[in-house]
Amino acid sequence: MTSHDTHPLLAILRQRIAIIDGAMGTTIRTYGMTEADMRGKRFSKSTKDLLNNGDLFSLTQPEMICDIHRRFLEAGADILETNTFGATGITQSEFFVDDPRETGGRKNPDFYQGILEDAFLNDLAWEINYESARQCRTWADRVGDATGRQRFVAGAIGPMTVSLSNSPDAEDAGFRVVTFDQVKEAYAHQIRALMAGGSDLLLVETIFDSLNAKAALVAVREVFDAEGVELPVMISAAVGRGGETLISAQTTEAFWNAVKHVRPLSVGLNCSLGPDLMYPFLSELSQKANVAVSCYPNAGLPNPLSETGFDLGPADMARYLGEFAGGGLINIAGGCCGNTPDHIAAIATALKDREPRSLDFSPAEMAA
Amino acid sequence: MTETVQAIPQAKPLRLSGSQPFTQQPGVYMILGERTNVAGSPKFAKLIKEGKYEEAVSVARQQVENGANVIDICMDEGMIDGVAAMTRYLQLLASEPEVAKVPFMVDSSKWEVIEAGLKCLQGKGIVNSISLKEGEDKFRQNARTVLKYGAAVVVMAFDEQGQAATYEEKIRICERAYRILVGEVGFPAEDIIFDPNVLTVATGMEEHNNYAVDFIEATRWIKAHLPHAKVSGGVSNISFSFRGNNKVREAMHSAFLYHAIVAGMDMGIVNAGMLEVYEEIEPRLKMLVEDVLLNRRPDATERLVEFGEALKGVGAEVAEKKTEEWRNGTVEERLSHALVKGIDSYIDQDAEEARVKLGRPLLVIEGPLMDGMSVVGDLFGAGKMFLPQVVKSARVMKKAVAHLTPYMEAEKAALAASGQAVKAQGKIVLATVKGDVHDIGKNIVGVVLACNNYEVIDLGVMVSAEKILERARLESASIIGLSGLITPSLDEMIHVARELERQHFKIPLLIGGATTSRAHTAIKIAPHYSAPVVHVTDASRAVPVTTSLLSDEGKDAFLAQHQAEYDGIRRNYAQPKQSMVPLTAARERHTPIDWREEDLATPEFFGVRVLDHFPLSVLREYIDWSPFFHTWGLRGIYPRILDDEMQGEQARQIFHDGNLLLDRIIRENLLIARGVYGFFSASAVGDDVQLYTDHTRSEMLPRLHFLRQQANREGKELCRSLADYVAPLYTGLCDSVGAFAVTTGIGLKSLCDAFRSEHDDYNAIMAEALADRLAEAFAECLHKRVRDQWGYGCAETFTPQDLISEKYRGIRPAPGYPACPDHTEKGTIWKLLNVETNTGMQLTESFAMWPGSSVSGLYFAHPKSRFFSLGKIDREQVEDYAGRKGMALLEAERWLSQNLNYDPA
Repeated sequence: MTSHDTHPLLAILRQRIAIIDGAMGTTIRTYGMTEADMRGKRFSKSTKDLLNNGDLFSLTQPEMICDIHRRFLEAGADILETNTFGATGITQSEFFVDDPRETGGRKNPDFYQGILEDAFLNDLAWEINYESARQCRTWADRVGDATGRQRFVAGAIGPMTVSLSNSPDAEDAGFRVVTFDQVKEAYAHQIRALMAGGSDLLLVETIFDSLNAKAALVAVREVFDAEGVELPVMISAAVGRGGETLISAQTTEAFWNAVKHVRPLSVGLNCSLGPDLMYPFLSELSQKANVAVSCYPNAGLPNPLSETGFDLGPADMARYLGEFAGGGLINIAGGCCGNTPDHIAAIATALKDREPRSLDFSPAEMAA
Repeated sequence: MTETVQAIPQAKPLRLSGSQPFTQQPGVYMILGERTNVAGSPKFAKLIKEGKYEEAVSVARQQVENGANVIDICMDEGMIDGVAAMTRYLQLLASEPEVAKVPFMVDSSKWEVIEAGLKCLQGKGIVNSISLKEGEDKFRQNARTVLKYGAAVVVMAFDEQGQAATYEEKIRICERAYRILVGEVGFPAEDIIFDPNVLTVATGMEEHNNYAVDFIEATRWIKAHLPHAKVSGGVSNISFSFRGNNKVREAMHSAFLYHAIVAGMDMGIVNAGMLEVYEEIEPRLKMLVEDVLLNRRPDATERLVEFGEALKGVGAEVAEKKTEEWRNGTVEERLSHALVKGIDSYIDQDAEEARVKLGRPLLVIEGPLMDGMSVVGDLFGAGKMFLPQVVKSARVMKKAVAHLTPYMEAEKAALAASGQAVKAQGKIVLATVKGDVHDIGKNIVGVVLACNNYEVIDLGVMVSAEKILERARLESASIIGLSGLITPSLDEMIHVARELERQHFKIPLLIGGATTSRAHTAIKIAPHYSAPVVHVTDASRAVPVTTSLLSDEGKDAFLAQHQAEYDGIRRNYAQPKQSMVPLTAARERHTPIDWREEDLATPEFFGVRVLDHFPLSVLREYIDWSPFFHTWGLRGIYPRILDDEMQGEQARQIFHDGNLLLDRIIRENLLIARGVYGFFSASAVGDDVQLYTDHTRSEMLPRLHFLRQQANREGKELCRSLADYVAPLYTGLCDSVGAFAVTTGIGLKSLCDAFRSEHDDYNAIMAEALADRLAEAFAECLHKRVRDQWGYGCAETFTPQDLISEKYRGIRPAPGYPACPDHTEKGTIWKLLNVETNTGMQLTESFAMWPGSSVSGLYFAHPKSRFFSLGKIDREQVEDYAGRKGMALLEAERWLSQNLNYDPA
């Protein structure tokens, strides 16, 4: 029995479609922050540009980040994601350590071993995860109390900037820049900090490489075992036109088979090419998985020529997710890249009275 | 000893995955390929020991091709570093899409090797194996680890006392292991696979004689008592005493499997290519083998040994695989196939053949190889190939290029010797722009380009414009490629383009990455740099684009096309959009019709009628000849064109020849006219038309979906829609519409083929032109009949010429034409009329009609109905339309691309 069998979120999922929040990066960009705002005093001497290191804003501009959290909660989000998509030592290293390729070197497991042993990066990763979880905790509780509706903090665990499934070496298809254990270790550190900061859930998301995700899920298990605490786990993949994880090309049912042992609270799809191509794969997942199904797609593809920077506006997203709800496919809905608080509000309104996908799985279904 | 099978819950199937899912099917034996096991295959062991991993990968590939459901991978050999070999081999297999689709079994007696293997599996594999040999604690711990990684597990019937040989030992140990796994560890029961030890029989030791029976009965017991658990085994052990006698061994394997499967064995490690069919075992051999396996008589072993002596050396070899079908194609087709399928077995041979055929190595690269990669790109773009397959294709390409390289070097050397200039190999500088840390996609592009023999200089991520330019200059790069995943990167790319211009660079700039687009590249980046700036949609397009840009022969044509395309995008963007009437207002400006019962025609019948072998001589009367002349490039109106000063003579000639051929077609019935049409009760609902089987309206049929004009030309003209011509539902009137699909293309292909085989292209084209005319004539002729059946046509006194000028009441619009440009509406006509069954006419993926010379459409009867052209429409209407059709917006935009008054994504 895992803890989520009696979790209050599960009770909500049985009654209605729960709402997860939208895009941090897209919303941050509407605040017009500059490189100097990002750096503050603390990172003023950094040699590389940090503006796009959105997770770092949780440390340098907490008021803005908390404002965004509040707006998503007020838009109707039940689940708030921490601002930690890239908050592992490995992903942070891209912003703080010179790329050896600029000088003819290469990234390989030796390079990343150095990253894992780098105290600055470890401390930074811990701090981002811990602080962001705390900020989310504060606002989830504050808005939760004010509205009489409990809100949940999902510790967001992103895919990293390295792939365990792909070789960047034309001469050697068996080469990997990083090892499974290194990826696992970086994730474990992130997971401990997210838990220490007060996360209710862990969300392994935007999975385009299933092996990276597996390393994260093994890390989750090992941290749970070591700390004697278990949180519900949500799992969400980013898929291409054929429903395959974008880099490692694992199709939807194959992916579910590979993560089912985790007994997650939910499994689903996010990010990807936008909602319009998702229906068949959500439908497949909905049929195969005996857990809740989540869906929080991009607002279409980035489109710098459109006003919002993405193809789809709030009404579009509400319509698509309404279709998924109409098909009885989802228990959790929200948005990924391109979705502002307005999008989430539109989605929440559209799904307010919609039936969630049934969570009473008949024994026959489970055996099938 | 057979037990009665108790009622146990239906067994859950074993579910596994590689990149594809695998679900065990009831009653189907799973084959675990054993050729990638160093213990089972000396050949494989040798490849691994010698570090020949590439060949070792092809062994896995053959296993999958031979039908293995799962491949067993074992590196347990004294001379092999198990952890390193297992890791490396599995990482290579991950890059082999045809292999990576199946689940893997990680097989080792060393726990660290198993864990190393688990760390390489993105899917759900099988661990082989764990056991109680080292006690319960170790067993629990290992099981938990397997569960943590999400794999199924083979449990050997082994405990602290050793291997279970007898039935009693087997079932006791398996039951104990099951209780611990399911009860204490929480291991899913359906993921437990028992291996109750297949032990060698016919050894001469009497106590071994019952081993096969013990296994089979233990299997039966496990399946009856341990719900959902599976049974597996290493089949070849059974016959170990007959080493060197393949004939006997194969018979033993088949017979053993036969009985074990009946008892419930789910899977086994077998050579998928080497199994005799049970029914085909020679009867006497089968009897002797079964005597041994089933322990039916004390002298069974001696009898089999004696009989077997005579069969020694007969060993059945695996039958040579027959020549694969695709090897019969032309060398170009073979190269393309090899790239698309990622097969490198013949690539050297084919590259060589192409080189000899085309004369120069470069022509092979820029010709068939690039064409093949373009096919790969098309398939990827259509979601029919995934990224790892693209990379694999590139690696096959690399092999071909490697074969051609020495020839190119020799060419260069010869050029240099004769004092001519030698073109250096392409050098490409790649970078993820400043501010962006994402480069997994760019790395893949780098690999694909390197496989095409370009020197790729990858500067990594977060690279400033200065560094990119500096390096490009230093290296004399031939191309720069920029990548970015997040939207701010787009501005940085513009900055890089400006810098390139400022510093007078002349080399092409490639743009790629998830946020980039062709439109953005053309409109926002390209104008800042005077050298070519090309958007590369994805890794699969990198090779065709760079090859074209660096090719002496192909560059100009590519750039001309590229320039025209991007100019078009920019023009389209810059163009003031047409002024639009908002959808709600447009709907208010519908065709004003005062709906009166007496203006509505009621058809003679409702439903569908089929017309087969409709007389061509009748259709001939309805032919509109003018387009016939257009086919031949003659512009003018029939019959005036026959007397035209310039074209008259030629027109008379082809008219004469056409009629001669038409006479023959009619006389000899060379073409068959077949059609179907129907009437349906109809009411307009908004811009849709709801159909019913008849005026009782007891049964609803699909809706027709129409679009409405929105162009605001003078400010008050009508905004028409075909839906305007059907009485709206709110009027309470019952209106009707007709639909039809006709063809005169049946027989056309053989007729044309016959002409072409006699090299008579003239008559072949003539036949096609006539068939097209007959199809149109059929639609016209059928329209006359429809008007008659609607009643109002009976009073007509039109000449055929009047008919061609469409002077009659009512219209016949066709989906795909100006009034209703969406081709997919043909799908509704096909459903309504059951066209395919009734006529054999089909719709292709792009909603074209097959055979050619077919026409389909709708009939509207209202006197006010008239043709119009839809023109441009806005996004609101497209969204509304997509919503009505239940179609994704992007799809609707694709079908209506000519009508959009905005730039879709």
